[in-house]
Amino acid sequence: MNAYLLIDEYHRPQDLAKAVEILSKFGRKAKVIAGGTDILPRRPGVGKTHYIAHLVDISDLGLNYIKSENRRIRIGAATPINTLGAIAEFSSAPYQALSEAADAHSSPTIKNRATVGGNLCNASACADLTLPLLAMDATLLAAGPDGQREIPITDFFRGANYMALDDNEILLEICIPRQPENTGSAFIKLRRQQTAIDMAVVNVATLLTGSRGHCEVARIALGAVAPIALRAPGAESVLAGKKLTGKAISEAAATVVEEISPIGDIRATAAYRREMVGVLVRRALETSRQRCEG
Amino acid sequence: MNTINIRIQVNGSWQELAVKPDDRLIDVLRDQLDLTGTKEGCGQGECGTCTVNLNGHAVLSCLILAAQADNCAIVTIEGLHKGSELHPLQRAFVSEAAVQCGYCTPGMIMAAKPLIDMDAEASEGKIRQHLSNNLCRCTGYDQPVRAVLKAAKEIKEDTNA
Repeated sequence: MNAYLLIDEYHRPQDLAKAVEILSKFGRKAKVIAGGTDILPRRPGVGKTHYIAHLVDISDLGLNYIKSENRRIRIGAATPINTLGAIAEFSSAPYQALSEAADAHSSPTIKNRATVGGNLCNASACADLTLPLLAMDATLLAAGPDGQREIPITDFFRGANYMALDDNEILLEICIPRQPENTGSAFIKLRRQQTAIDMAVVNVATLLTGSRGHCEVARIALGAVAPIALRAPGAESVLAGKKLTGKAISEAAATVVEEISPIGDIRATAAYRREMVGVLVRRALETSRQRCEG
Repeated sequence: MNTINIRIQVNGSWQELAVKPDDRLIDVLRDQLDLTGTKEGCGQGECGTCTVNLNGHAVLSCLILAAQADNCAIVTIEGLHKGSELHPLQRAFVSEAAVQCGYCTPGMIMAAKPLIDMDAEASEGKIRQHLSNNLCRCTGYDQPVRAVLKAAKEIKEDTNA
């Protein structure tokens, strides 16, 4: 028995059409579940029961896969996060931020269940996987009653724990475009305690494409410093098309503070986040530079 | 009240059960099957004391609905010994004094088992990483880590013998 969770009906559709049909029928009363590590935990300090009228389990929709193609890498939304660590490609310089974020996400036990799509759909501003995916300009594929649509990841997050999917839509896939070979990416997570399951005070991912000290592409993604995880276009423009020097990197890192709106909470004060975000961006950019030149 | 009929394999034997939509796996293991070796600590995925193995992977039974485990094979702490012979992990936890109050022990052992089954040469660092979701408030972590290293060594020697 548990007293904190109340679910009226559990659905386990065997195909996508059925899943969309159930979601369309119950609208806001329905909630999608994959691994369940965001939906099922007891909420400390919340007295009332967590009530879900219709829970729709998407584990039988064939969304657990990673496909490496010529122009993109496709990750099924219900792929457990542990799987990312087993893909050698994600440890290569262009995609290394992804394996670093997967590593930092939580413990192996949680990552056996927690899914890539769940980390996105929970739409937390500090969700670790969102940052490398923002830096790699991923595209999200969703399905609804009118068919499928693609959503650029930069349009996906709308507010704290609020994202672009309609009540009757399901996230199917995360598409990562292939990055040029002369690309390096990095992810850094600052946490209060060095425990596996602690959430980020600030987390960042950066990606640089360049050769012979010249920066072609710079992308910077910031977590836990605004209501949503976001890119820092101002800081990116400091680097893109310029010489990739230590001075330029410091300048870009100093700019990000103008693009954020952090709050103070149980994990850190807003002022501390403002201080740290530049430090993390500078370090991540330096690592990205080494990797893209390596 | 809606019930869902599920079929799960628990410690080697298939069970057909009627569960409620909000029954978690731990609720069914403890309350329907009387397998009280699996403990509930925090109910929010932080303490790891409810860790069991599902299809050979360590998972938290407080963060899985029983209905989600339909058709899966589950192993709990009660499924490790063979007759009167304890599993090497159980023996090592005793001999290395890795047990004090014992509440976290089943979870620790079930978190370690898939790791050493897969990699009997797992480093101490890797073992610590795999036990990072298991809190102990008595002995600390050195003894459990030593116990896992010892059990892994024993399993490896048995395989080579």
